Amino acid sequence: MIRRCLRVVAVFVTATLCVLAQSALPRLPDGHPDLQGLWMKSAGGFQGLFIGSLDGTNFAAGGRGGRGGRGPVAPQYPYTPEAAAERADRLRRGYEDPEAHCHLPGVPRALDQPGGLYPVQIIQDEKSVALLHEAMHDVRIIPTDNSAHPRNYWAWDGDSRGRWDGDTLVVDVSNFNGRTWLDMAANFVDENEHVVERFSVVDRDTIQYEATITDPTVFVRPVQMRFTLKRVPAEQQILEYSCLEGERSLQHYTAEDGGKKRREQ
Amino acid sequence: MRLVVAVATLAMLTAAVGVRSQGSSQSFVPGRLWDGKTPDFRGIWQVRDTAYVNIEGHAAERGIAASKSIVVDPPDGKIPYKPDALVTRQEHYRVRATADPSIKCYQAGVPRATYLATPLQILQSPGNLAIVYQQNHAFRVFHPDTRPHFDNTDWWMGDTRYRWEGDTLVADVVAQTDEAWLDQAGNFHSTEVHIVERYHMTGADTLEYEAKIEDPVVYTRPWTLRTVLYRVKEAGARIIEDECLEDANGVRHHIAPTDPRNLLKSDYTRWKR
Repeated sequence: MIRRCLRVVAVFVTATLCVLAQSALPRLPDGHPDLQGLWMKSAGGFQGLFIGSLDGTNFAAGGRGGRGGRGPVAPQYPYTPEAAAERADRLRRGYEDPEAHCHLPGVPRALDQPGGLYPVQIIQDEKSVALLHEAMHDVRIIPTDNSAHPRNYWAWDGDSRGRWDGDTLVVDVSNFNGRTWLDMAANFVDENEHVVERFSVVDRDTIQYEATITDPTVFVRPVQMRFTLKRVPAEQQILEYSCLEGERSLQHYTAEDGGKKRREQ
Repeated sequence: MRLVVAVATLAMLTAAVGVRSQGSSQSFVPGRLWDGKTPDFRGIWQVRDTAYVNIEGHAAERGIAASKSIVVDPPDGKIPYKPDALVTRQEHYRVRATADPSIKCYQAGVPRATYLATPLQILQSPGNLAIVYQQNHAFRVFHPDTRPHFDNTDWWMGDTRYRWEGDTLVADVVAQTDEAWLDQAGNFHSTEVHIVERYHMTGADTLEYEAKIEDPVVYTRPWTLRTVLYRVKEAGARIIEDECLEDANGVRHHIAPTDPRNLLKSDYTRWKR
């Protein structure tokens, strides 16, 4: 009997500790973790590692992405033979990164911006989680009602629908326009891209971000990406990013894109 | 008996609220966020007039309905330009078909972004406020006015500090570029422009917007514009991606990747064939 009582007490204490740990996370009244604040990707991801590597060298695959081996999962793009040839061809042609034309970066590139450069502001309520990205002044307002993707809609950032899986925000992203690059090095996806993102609150100042990218016409298996978002001190603020408005390098605007004509007006 | 009193009291309160909301527009009381304090302005909003063509009013043209001036002060509905500035505005007007920054897909600026032909969405939570404008996916994060402006640069959407005056959202905006226009007609300001915006709900689905615009470089005195935003109520309404920079006709945007129109000049052709 005494032993049984002790067991009950042990279970109770464990449960209490669990509840305490959980309640330490900031939460909204609906009980879901509060993701709000200004966040910055910490070292890692794929993008930052590609700066200056337009020859397509995949530094990240060499495992340089993180400190002490605890960094992001290195990207391994498992291209189909046709897609591998296409990527090589894009590199050979010097075919240009859409983001260099001020197009929206797509997902997960929206968050996978060069580390430490562009923060993202998150505003959340019981119906949605909004990501306001400094980079490209990209905006994603993600409904958290697990609603269905629309028909007849294609976009650079696709269409995002979220749901809560315990304390993790899971976002299903589909309806891509098929023109997105994953980085500056011509790694690409087409309109069959499908992304599942997971935002997990680790503590008050840390969100673990994970993206699984599938694209059956480009990759033979899913690609995974993982990095952390760290809270930016409250005295800082998001600044304005005017890609096009500040653009002075006309070489980015090729006649093929229709841009040159527009710039000459 | 106690129950009867309670019900009666409740009925009186309900009636009182009803009268309030039916009274003058000043008396509408918006809902609150979950802190129980902050007025709830969340939603998708859009103007219904065409003042974005010319805020001083314009006749109907090329399939666009006419609009009256939304300038409420001065009473004549005209922006009080200094003589030199008026000349500049007339020049802007002459070349507006190509010189309007919006045609180049630039962010619209304040207050222009508010009365465009595209919706905006107000995002709120206690202590947080931002407005997302569909056109060119521009957004503004509103910061509490307890911290000074970030005003050592010229931005398209300016730097915004806000406070609540009762149920009115009052925003102070500086740090705007002089390249922005106020409408398609070439009305403009300089980098010295200082704007005080007032957002006020006059009903459950109407948001009155007022902007007092001060700029000693361009105007002889401060002036004010006022318009009304209506709640977009279509089921499933959302701000959609608005990527102006597609091609000359925006042809590729939101068109199926396999649509023949999309395959005309895209690199996509090479990959798919």
